[in-house]
Amino acid sequence: MSVKLAGELQSGNVIIVENNPVVVLKAQYNKSGRNSAVVKVRMKNLMTERISEAIYKADEKLEGVMLERKDCTYSYYAAPMQVFVDSEFNPYEIHEETLADITKYLIPDMTDVCEVTFYEGRPISVLLPKTIIREVEYTEPVVRGDTSGKITKTAVLKHTKHELQVSGFVEIGDKIEIDTETGDFKKRIA
Amino acid sequence: MRRWDLFCRVVDNYGDIGICWRLARQLADHDGEGEIHVRLWVDDLESFAKLCPAIAPRSPVQAVGSVEVCHWSTNFPSVDPADVVIEAFACELPLTYIAAMARRPTPPVWINLEYLSAEDWVEDCHLLPSPHPTSPLKKYFFFPGFTSRTGGLLRERDLMSTRVAFDAAAEAVFWQSIGIPPRGNEDLRVSLFCYENSAVPEFLQSCVEGPTPIRVLTAPGAATEQVSRWLGRGLVTGELVRVGALAVHAIPFLSQDDYDWLLWSCDVNFVRGEDSFVRAQWAQRPFVWQIYPQDKDAHFVKLGAFLSRFLHGVSEPTVISDCWQAWNGRGRISFAWPNYVANLAEIRRYGEVWACQLDHAEDLANNLIRFVREQV
Repeated sequence: MSVKLAGELQSGNVIIVENNPVVVLKAQYNKSGRNSAVVKVRMKNLMTERISEAIYKADEKLEGVMLERKDCTYSYYAAPMQVFVDSEFNPYEIHEETLADITKYLIPDMTDVCEVTFYEGRPISVLLPKTIIREVEYTEPVVRGDTSGKITKTAVLKHTKHELQVSGFVEIGDKIEIDTETGDFKKRIA
Repeated sequence: MRRWDLFCRVVDNYGDIGICWRLARQLADHDGEGEIHVRLWVDDLESFAKLCPAIAPRSPVQAVGSVEVCHWSTNFPSVDPADVVIEAFACELPLTYIAAMARRPTPPVWINLEYLSAEDWVEDCHLLPSPHPTSPLKKYFFFPGFTSRTGGLLRERDLMSTRVAFDAAAEAVFWQSIGIPPRGNEDLRVSLFCYENSAVPEFLQSCVEGPTPIRVLTAPGAATEQVSRWLGRGLVTGELVRVGALAVHAIPFLSQDDYDWLLWSCDVNFVRGEDSFVRAQWAQRPFVWQIYPQDKDAHFVKLGAFLSRFLHGVSEPTVISDCWQAWNGRGRISFAWPNYVANLAEIRRYGEVWACQLDHAEDLANNLIRFVREQV
């Protein structure tokens, strides 16, 4: 066990709540009054799979759980589980609901090295690399004359159909770099 | 009879205790089903006594009206926890009291009363639980606010009718009670209650040079101290000083009821923080809010959130927003204030409409009572 301040919580952290381990799915920090802050937490109970929401003062001391981490790659989808494998091809299944924030980037044959987190041997969360490269399946025609990237338009990613805003010069079939923490388009690769 | 414990730490000034004292009285005097016995724990009875002269600062336990007031001392006494426990502004209950809460066969309904904000996220966080790592105790966060998806605002059940009944004769009696001459037609009356504020000297100078005679009534503390610095000499309570078109009058510390009457009697009220800010809205008079300053200018987000709600549908919102922004350090109050004064009649009409809108919502104390009933 370790002390974890509520204000430091991130997706994938595991804390103890009412004597149960819960994995943080989302942590939203808001300034309250008089320089204090609160953190709204969406979390999943690892024993019951139940998803719930809670709120804590940002300076509240919670019990964090030490976790094992392993580099893995994405393998395949077997509804409702997403399957990852380690370097020895051991498969690890994680419920798609737990991976809500990254499912939009999971595609067949992807080679990105992901960090899978385990609690008592069970995989509970996956962290993608800071940036990934994906192919644009559809976007409106190129905006003429725009080389600045200031004009943006919607693009649809191949396989997942995820939509994001890209620079006006991006074309269908282009490979683009995406920031997985913010979900933002970073640049065109080819 | 349901027992409620309300805990309050006086962190600075009188905002915390002002809100807790109002809430305690409103809970104890509520007219709904079932009697509520309220025990208010306060760590600083000296400060409390300024707001409520009936308080005996050295008395550890006393009845004030229908509320039992207890001194929250360092050595917290062994007491039986109430059925409902309110922790005002995350003031952190005594550990022995929390342990006693956990030992109860049925844990109390434990509520953390949060700060008021007009931001959208408040609706998503209102009434969320805050479960403990290992204890069965669960705390709920209760957020005051301006929409039906928040906890609402503090408002006595007879506030609006009392406000309407406050006529010119009542106003004259009030002025006399605090040593101010009855109102003529000659001056604009402005109450000044603020934190340290770099806009104060510019505001005062603007009043001195303005076309309208203005009487500024300064509250004890930061307001009077800043006016004194600007004058270059100490201003004592009851003293009147005239400079150009400005008359400055240092008024005494007022009880909550007296402060309401001051707000109702003035043409413009400069207010600060949370409690006086809410009372100024119920007063239905033009007001200028100095928000509690926060690190990294976080308060401007909160100020903007309130202005967005408050000025929705207003034809000339910048008249108000420019003045408020300048009073909070963004802009020139000497430019914004004359424009504000020139539009007072319209601002006042709008304030009446706004208060009427707020009055349609359930008040904070009744929202709390309803939430507690749903938990048991």
